[in-house]
Amino acid sequence: MTDYWLSKLFFDLQTPARAAAYRADRASVLKDYPLSPEVRAAVMADDVGYLARLVNPYLLRFYFVSAGMPDAEFIGKLRASAQGAGKAGHG
Amino acid sequence: MAELVGVFAASHAPLIVREWASVTPEHKTRLTGALQELGRRLDAARADVLIEVSPDHWVNFFINNLPSVCIGVGVENEGPPEPFLKDFPYKILPGDPGLARHILTTALKDGFEPSISHRLILDHGFCIPLWRMELKRMPRLIPIIVNDLEPPMISIRRALDWGRLLKRSIESYPEKLRVAILATGGLSHSIGEPTMGDIDEPFDHDCIRLFSAGDEAPLCDYLEGALGKTGNGAHEVRNWVMAHGAAGSRGFEAIDYISVPEVYVGCCFASWRAAA
Repeated sequence: MTDYWLSKLFFDLQTPARAAAYRADRASVLKDYPLSPEVRAAVMADDVGYLARLVNPYLLRFYFVSAGMPDAEFIGKLRASAQGAGKAGHG
Repeated sequence: MAELVGVFAASHAPLIVREWASVTPEHKTRLTGALQELGRRLDAARADVLIEVSPDHWVNFFINNLPSVCIGVGVENEGPPEPFLKDFPYKILPGDPGLARHILTTALKDGFEPSISHRLILDHGFCIPLWRMELKRMPRLIPIIVNDLEPPMISIRRALDWGRLLKRSIESYPEKLRVAILATGGLSHSIGEPTMGDIDEPFDHDCIRLFSAGDEAPLCDYLEGALGKTGNGAHEVRNWVMAHGAAGSRGFEAIDYISVPEVYVGCCFASWRAAA
C-alpha cells in the first residue's frame, strides 16, 4: 500500500536545500508531513525493510542515497528484510 | 514532408557519470566506444529534430499527477537537476513546438490521450546519453516521457502502437525536416528492490535477439511475460519497443551489450535498420 505522505517526503528531499535541512534537523522537517507514528518511527530508525513496502522503489533508493546510507548497506537491509518476510510467510 | 532518418536506443545508468571512477577500465572503454558510435550514427543522420523517449525519475511528476505518456511541446526544456550532472553542457535544450504539437494532434485524432508539458526538466535518463554520445551538433529536442517507474504502465503492445504513431506523425508533417528517435533506459536492472545490483543477462540477451529479429508478436509476448519477473528497471524497455514500432519493426543492430555491475545495469546501445 502506497503511503502518500512518506512518498511526498522522499520526493521533496530530492531538492538539495530540503535535503540539507533534513540532514541538519530530521525531526523538524518531518513535522511538515502527516506520517503515522509507526511510519515516522521507521523513518527515524532508517528501517529500510518497513519503508520499502510503502513507497516506490526508486523513491526509496533516492531517499537513502540522500540520507547517506552506502549502497552495500542499503541492499543488505533490503535483502535481509525480504528473507525475513519469506520466512515469516512460510512459517 | 518530414522524414524519419534514424532510430536509436541507449541505456542511461546514472552511475555512468556519478560513479565513473568506479567503473573498470575495460567497461569504461566499451561504454565510451558504444556511446560515441551511437553519436557518430546520429550525427550522420543529420537530424534537425530528435524525439527522445525516456522515463521521468520523479523529477517532473509525482503520484499526485502521473501521466502514462507526456509529450514535451514547449519552445524549450531544462537540463538535468541532478547535482552530479552539474557539468552537463546544456542548461536549456530548444524544442520543436511545431512537430511536437503535430504529434499531439495526430495522437488525439488516432485514439491516444497523452499528457502535454510546455516545459519539462530533463533528468539523467535524457541527458546522460545526449552528453556521452558527444554529438557534434545538438538537434532540437522533443522529449516524450513514458511512465516506466510506477505501475500500472502502458502495455508493450501499446508502446508498439505509440511507435507506429510517431512514424505516421513524422511522415505526415508538412515541413521538410529530418527527424530521429532515441529511446533510453534498460536493459535489465533493479533499483530499490531486494534484487538491486542483479543484472539479468539471459533477459537482456533474449531482448537483443528478439529486437534484432524484428518480429513483433514474439517480442511482445516475451516482454509481457518477462517484465515483472526481472528487475523493475527493465520496464524502461517499453521505450525501446516504441522505437521499434517507429522503425517499422525491421530489427536492430546491437552496437554493444555490456553487463556492468559497477553501474547496476545491463547496458545496451543499438540502432534500427530503418536508420539512415
